Amino acid sequence: MFAHRRLWSAVAWLTRPRVAVLAGLAHVCLLTGCAGEYSTLDPAGPSALAVSWLWWGMLLAFGLVWFAVIGLWLLAVRRDPGDVSDAQAQRLQNRWIIGGGLVLPGVSIAVLLAFGIPVGHGMLPLSADEDVLRIEVTGYQWYWQVEYPDAGVSLEDELHIPAGEPVHIHLRSNDVIRSFWVPRLAGKLDAIPGHENVLKLQADQAGVYRGLCAEFCGLLHADMGFTVEAHEREDFEQWLSDAARDD
Amino acid sequence: MLQATHPFQLVAGLLVWAIWFVVLYAGLSVGCAVAPPAAEQGDLNWLNGGLGAISLATTLLLVLAAWRCWQAAAVPSVDRQGAFFARLGAAIHGVSALATAAIAIPVVAYPPCV
Amino acid sequence: MTDSQGHDGGAQHRRLDAVWANWPGWRTLAAVNHTSIGLRFMLTGVFFFLVGGVLAMLARTQLALPAQDILSADVYNQVFTMHGTVMMFLFAIPVLEGLALYMIPKMIGARDLVFPRISSLGYYCYLFGGLIILSSLFVGQAPDSGWFMYTPLSSAEHAPGMGSDFWLLGITFVEISAMAAGIELTVSILRSRAPGMTLRHMPIFCWYILAMALMIVFGFPPLILASVLLELERAAGMPFFEVAAGGDPILWQHLFWLFGHPEVYIIFLPAAAVVSTLIPVFAQRPIVGYRWLVLAIIVTGFISFGLWVHHMFTIGIPKLAQAFFSVASMLVAVPTAIQLFAWLATLWTGRVIRSLPMLWIFGFLVIFVCGGLTGVMLALVPFNWQVHDTHFVVAHLHYVVVGGMLFPLIAGFYYWLPHFSGRMSTPVLGALGFWLTFIGFNATFLLMHLTGLLGMPRRVYTYEAGLGWDWLNLLSSVGGFVMAAGIALVLLDIALHFRFGRPAGRNPWNADTLEWATNTPPAPYNFASLPALDTRHPLWRQPELLQSIPAGEHGLTDIRHGRRETYGTEAVSGRLREVIHLPGNSWLPLLGALMLAVVCVSLLVRIYPMALLGVVGAAVFLLRWGWENGAHPRAAPLTANEPDNPPLHSRTCDGPGLWGMWVTLMANGTLYLSLLFGWFYLWTAAPQWTTPETLSVDRVAMVAAGLVLTGAVVAYGRLVRALCKGRATFLAGGLLLVTTLGCLHLAVVLWALLGAGLTPTEHAHDAMLLVMFLYLLFHAGLATVLSLLQALRVRLGYVGVRLPYEPVVLRPLWLYTLAVYWLSVALFLFLPAAWGAGG
Ligand code: HEM
Ligand SMILES: [Cu+2]
Ligand SMILES: [Cu+2]
Repeated sequence: MFAHRRLWSAVAWLTRPRVAVLAGLAHVCLLTGCAGEYSTLDPAGPSALAVSWLWWGMLLAFGLVWFAVIGLWLLAVRRDPGDVSDAQAQRLQNRWIIGGGLVLPGVSIAVLLAFGIPVGHGMLPLSADEDVLRIEVTGYQWYWQVEYPDAGVSLEDELHIPAGEPVHIHLRSNDVIRSFWVPRLAGKLDAIPGHENVLKLQADQAGVYRGLCAEFCGLLHADMGFTVEAHEREDFEQWLSDAARDD
Repeated sequence: MLQATHPFQLVAGLLVWAIWFVVLYAGLSVGCAVAPPAAEQGDLNWLNGGLGAISLATTLLLVLAAWRCWQAAAVPSVDRQGAFFARLGAAIHGVSALATAAIAIPVVAYPPCV
Repeated sequence: MTDSQGHDGGAQHRRLDAVWANWPGWRTLAAVNHTSIGLRFMLTGVFFFLVGGVLAMLARTQLALPAQDILSADVYNQVFTMHGTVMMFLFAIPVLEGLALYMIPKMIGARDLVFPRISSLGYYCYLFGGLIILSSLFVGQAPDSGWFMYTPLSSAEHAPGMGSDFWLLGITFVEISAMAAGIELTVSILRSRAPGMTLRHMPIFCWYILAMALMIVFGFPPLILASVLLELERAAGMPFFEVAAGGDPILWQHLFWLFGHPEVYIIFLPAAAVVSTLIPVFAQRPIVGYRWLVLAIIVTGFISFGLWVHHMFTIGIPKLAQAFFSVASMLVAVPTAIQLFAWLATLWTGRVIRSLPMLWIFGFLVIFVCGGLTGVMLALVPFNWQVHDTHFVVAHLHYVVVGGMLFPLIAGFYYWLPHFSGRMSTPVLGALGFWLTFIGFNATFLLMHLTGLLGMPRRVYTYEAGLGWDWLNLLSSVGGFVMAAGIALVLLDIALHFRFGRPAGRNPWNADTLEWATNTPPAPYNFASLPALDTRHPLWRQPELLQSIPAGEHGLTDIRHGRRETYGTEAVSGRLREVIHLPGNSWLPLLGALMLAVVCVSLLVRIYPMALLGVVGAAVFLLRWGWENGAHPRAAPLTANEPDNPPLHSRTCDGPGLWGMWVTLMANGTLYLSLLFGWFYLWTAAPQWTTPETLSVDRVAMVAAGLVLTGAVVAYGRLVRALCKGRATFLAGGLLLVTTLGCLHLAVVLWALLGAGLTPTEHAHDAMLLVMFLYLLFHAGLATVLSLLQALRVRLGYVGVRLPYEPVVLRPLWLYTLAVYWLSVALFLFLPAAWGAGG
């Protein structure tokens, strides 16, 4: 019993200041370091936002686990156990292994899924939103061909979308596999020869967001950047009809 | 080989788990290729139902097997070697049952083919 | 290498040495002894680690500042691909195999592994394959599609040079060594433990290695198949991965990661074995929760085969399927956590001795736990969609691989240094090396997680300034060089200790396991006498073993026959069954590997006649190898006073060879299952797959051929059963009959194949059929040739009533051949028609 109390106070001692440090770090990061044109921690769309919260939550929880395990280890190495009988060791073993080896990961996984499954669900391009804008993006070595099939507009390395509503990007590839990613808006999805994948993309506000190719696709993989410009709805309609006329 | 004190019990549960896992993944893939239920049905459709039923049955089977091994380990006449395998076999069947149940949970959360 | 402790059995040691020693001078290349081979594996592995490290430093130099062009995009792509390839295939796996090959016989109280020539063959395949892959850098044609070689990027169209061929052929060649080690370690652990060492009494190290070995057996075949298929596509135009012809590039990803994820655990398990071995020694108490650890090992071994799709979360498979793999991936955290807390509990209840190995174990803990936790994060699908293929993954993978493999490995090196050299290392330099490595590592990779979250993708040769990535990359590069300095210090420390380390004496750490009962450095036969054991901690429970073993007070001391021998015991109970006689030094493995190297290089430069010559050469040497077995004069010829209690293994109907055959067939069966997977995968999922309206293969002929084969196998089975009952009247004739039936079968199958007019370069369907045919022909051909040789050996008196072993060993091959034949006929030829030849 006594060992228990000592253990927990040790854990508390080890973690308390660190939590503060962690929170502080997160704060600093949010204010300065997390900004960036490709930063997933500076989200500008619902998918990216949800994932960024997953990240901060996991960082906090797993950070605690990490420090706790290291703290326990240091303590275990330092302490003098005295004489531990086999029966005592057996009891301790079962308690620790069941607690740390089964319950701890079990609970973590359950919590993780409880948060993660709804988030994942929200990111799916369900066909219920049938009337959303459809944009076809095809990968080439080394650029993205962008088509608006309904309007007959075609662009390179440049997308325009209405802000505040989801659009569906239909991804294909002409040659090798690559991955379409706009970090501030949503997760990435691969463009694979012979297959078509659909990504739901949404920007909350008008603005220019940068995207890149995440799957290695050969020599100029690093140069496959593109931009996604989100316009207010009316501006977007305007842009689309202008572009259709120019074509 | 099926005796609860046989070393085969060290892998039996996980073999069942592995076969179930293949059936689950292959069943889903083939199901979606042959007759995909519409996404609007959500998770209430024949495919999720079938996969869920198989998973439940497998879990129950594994729990039973775990219990059987556990019993066998407690029999006084069993030698230490046999008890070692039975005890370990019980735990491994138990873990396999847990893994089966846990991995199958998304069946009640997602539509199958999107 | 001989005994320096000067026990009174000096003459006995000299006699043993005469039988067991490697040949002197350059002829030591013919060595087959596990101590030598294990050391060679480890040294070669360290060499490749340095190569991989230099490549890493090149990459980090390029990335240190934005918009640099020290390396061109082309060179950078080769550099990171080779870094990953060298580190994973030529460093991590082989070095751990080497450690296992070195340790296992010593821990289980045996004199050698059960297939010594296979150790040697494996080593040379590794060495030659590694050198071939390395040479690609010097001809400027290194592979450049990343270490997982995704098609179509690695296909003939998009990677026209020789780079992909170097990778595919070289890695497959190296893979032979992994398979060899996997089979050999499995059988050795199961069949050659000290008498009385039941499974439950095995040191925990052996459980880990057993699991690793079996994982190799089941994990590598998918990659081997994938490599063969891709090389066939590149060289012969068979379109397995080409959409337009009915293939699918996703098939490559499945096959690669079916191997690739288990591979992570193949690396981690032996490293965890080191941790589980060292912690009890430095806590000076038995490991807490032995049974829990065994549970964790077995569960890891299985579950890790159900995770591979977590590398493919962004390819667009159904969300529900992703969720299955997501949960499964998180679940492997459970066995890992069990191990972690068992280690913690052991330390908690012991009085821990501070030492250099423990320092490295501490580094392991800090780094690996972090890597494990980010692994669980990555298993969460929505999060994975954001950070997949970014530097977050690069950070994660190095935390896992460096923390989970390199740190425990160095801990192990320091721990076993006295075993290798007889000397202790110096504490000061070693500690400095540790801290530099540890700090450098974390400086390189900790904040790299942030780099990834800020959106930096992996595998980019440069990046623009002002994205928030600049200082992070600079920090990583500086850290990388600090780490390199740390590694250099460690190597210096180890080099110096050979000269300046103080002599270690026997069992310097007061360890519990039997490897410390050998001399340090060990004699080639490990133990002058083989003890019976019934405890997990022999040197703690029976410290007198340290004297009684070298004094020859235990078993198997007679060496007058001049054979290398060790005990063969029952797999579970450890009951003594037989004396296994082992081959001595031999050139055949080296020659066989050289011929395989010829094959590899000629396929690379596409000189096919030379490749054919190489195949023939390799076959000649390997068959000759099989010839020098059993009662052959170079092995264990029959004598008047045969030992019969226990008997020699080649005089029985069960032995390590039979087990080796079964384990090989398990690996082979996995290869076949991978092929079946490919078949069904393409059939159901390839976008443009077509099954021809009418099958051109003559199915009647195939069934007839199958019946002939069935006849051959039934006849063979009868012969063997009679032989083991002591009847051999019709043996040679029977074997000839089997051979004839085999030839007939081959002829019909070949006829059906040639008459089918397949177009394997135009349709993935036909390409798959062709591979299936070749697979069947190879197996039936092999079994037929070996049976013919058996008939010959009966005539020469190497096989007979008193020597029934070899036909017994061969029987599973026949059974396997029969099983895959009927399966193939059913699933490749009949099922599609029955399904309605859908599209
Ligand atoms: C000496 C410390 C090391 C440094 C500084 C280092 C650095 C790097 C760098 C810069 C990359 C390229 C990342 C990218 O562009 O995607 C990389 C990739 C990789 N590293 Fe390391 N590495 C080190 C040690 C190791 C070790 C010990 C292993 C394995 C045993 C390893 C395995 C890998 C693998 C598998 C890849 C992926 C290659 C690919 O993307 O194809 N590294 N490493
Ligand atoms: Cu790319
Ligand atoms: Cu993995």
